[in-house]
Amino acid sequence: MRKKNKRARQIRLFLFFGLLLTLFIILIVSTVGRQEFNAPHKLALEIIGTAQYGMTRVTGSFKNGWRNYTALINVRAENARLREELQKHKAVNNEYREAVATNVRLAKLLEMKETLPSPTLTAEIIGMDPSQWFKTIIIDRGSSDGVQAGMPAVTVEGVVGQVTNTSPHFAKILLATDPNSALDALVQETRVQGIVKGGGAGFHMEYVLKNNEVAKGDKIVTSGIGGVFPKGVPIGTVSKVEKSGRGMFQEIEIEPAADFSQLEYLIIVMKKDPLAK
Amino acid sequence: MVLSFLFLSGTILLILQTTLLHALPEWFGRPNLLFLFIVFLGTYLDIYKGAVLALLFGLIMDIFSGVFLGLHPVIYLVLFFVLQVVSRHLAINESIHQIPLVALSYLFTASSIFVFTSILSPESRLYWAWGNEILQVLILAVICIPFFNFFHWLTTVFDSRNSNNPFRRHKTGNRYRMQ
Repeated sequence: MRKKNKRARQIRLFLFFGLLLTLFIILIVSTVGRQEFNAPHKLALEIIGTAQYGMTRVTGSFKNGWRNYTALINVRAENARLREELQKHKAVNNEYREAVATNVRLAKLLEMKETLPSPTLTAEIIGMDPSQWFKTIIIDRGSSDGVQAGMPAVTVEGVVGQVTNTSPHFAKILLATDPNSALDALVQETRVQGIVKGGGAGFHMEYVLKNNEVAKGDKIVTSGIGGVFPKGVPIGTVSKVEKSGRGMFQEIEIEPAADFSQLEYLIIVMKKDPLAK
Repeated sequence: MVLSFLFLSGTILLILQTTLLHALPEWFGRPNLLFLFIVFLGTYLDIYKGAVLALLFGLIMDIFSGVFLGLHPVIYLVLFFVLQVVSRHLAINESIHQIPLVALSYLFTASSIFVFTSILSPESRLYWAWGNEILQVLILAVICIPFFNFFHWLTTVFDSRNSNNPFRRHKTGNRYRMQ
């Protein structure tokens, strides 16, 4: 009897450590290998994504109701201010129209090829990353809408992130603030190039030599190198420059152009051949 | 049956955590309910059922969190087995002991994610924010006892209802002899 118990215990221990070892191998293989979702992952995202969508709808309607109520308080003053702004913008718009017409005329003269911008798709955020370590989101658009891994996600303010995985009706986006995100960027004024990496709340720019001119307040935009993001999309503004440290590169901190704490909707740039990774 | 009920509960917690709880302001903190649920499974369920659920929730977490597929299943399973060992040797069923257990388990999980991610992606700068971690530990410490009691009560109710089910086949006491 005692022997049997001992043997059973040994088998359990063997199973336990065998299971652990197998899982570590799975982890290593899956990490070194492709990071794409397989069929069960996609199915789970479809099912839970639908529930997230429903929950977002319910909470969204409550939020909107409250916002509408609070917005009514200052609506008259805001209306007057907006009318004034509209008059100003109409004048500016007329100037732009004139400039565009001139541009078209000059482009025809130069026989330049017309480069159409990629089509875009608006998506709603239905789920946020539950952990504190990673910054990913789930959107209500998937491969059936034409969304593919590698497509850039932006807002009117600037860069948001990149699509990493898709299922038929939902997609996962790696935010630019995630530590695993990296973007090719340049300083708008001086055209100095570097790599912008996510740093939790904001960004930092790396691989900028100390003899390059970068100052606080400089605008950082995408460089278009690598072909993932279109050229010139705002990333943020330089908030701190540190040259005193060791090494040949500067330490640059960037305040994001997009407000990541208020994200609700974003725009997917539907590039024809997005680079997956 | 209990397994499916617990799986459904964990999935609902994950949905709440990724949608509703994100409406809370950041300074207020957002409790990691699924983590608390894994701790509950580690102390409440037997090793086989619990391991299956921990693995499933880890796989699901991979879909909604992070970029490394396989990270969460490993961490959740290791945590589950550690909790199983601890719960067999210590009297952690006492409510007061569950608070330090939850706090230590959270720090273990957070540091595991930090270490694994640093190894798997050495070029990314991961920040250990003590403020956020302490806030999360405090929130979990406050809600862990009512959370555990609630799920304990729920599973007990579910178990008793399930045992009264007239359609359920009752097992005989002797599993080896046909009667």
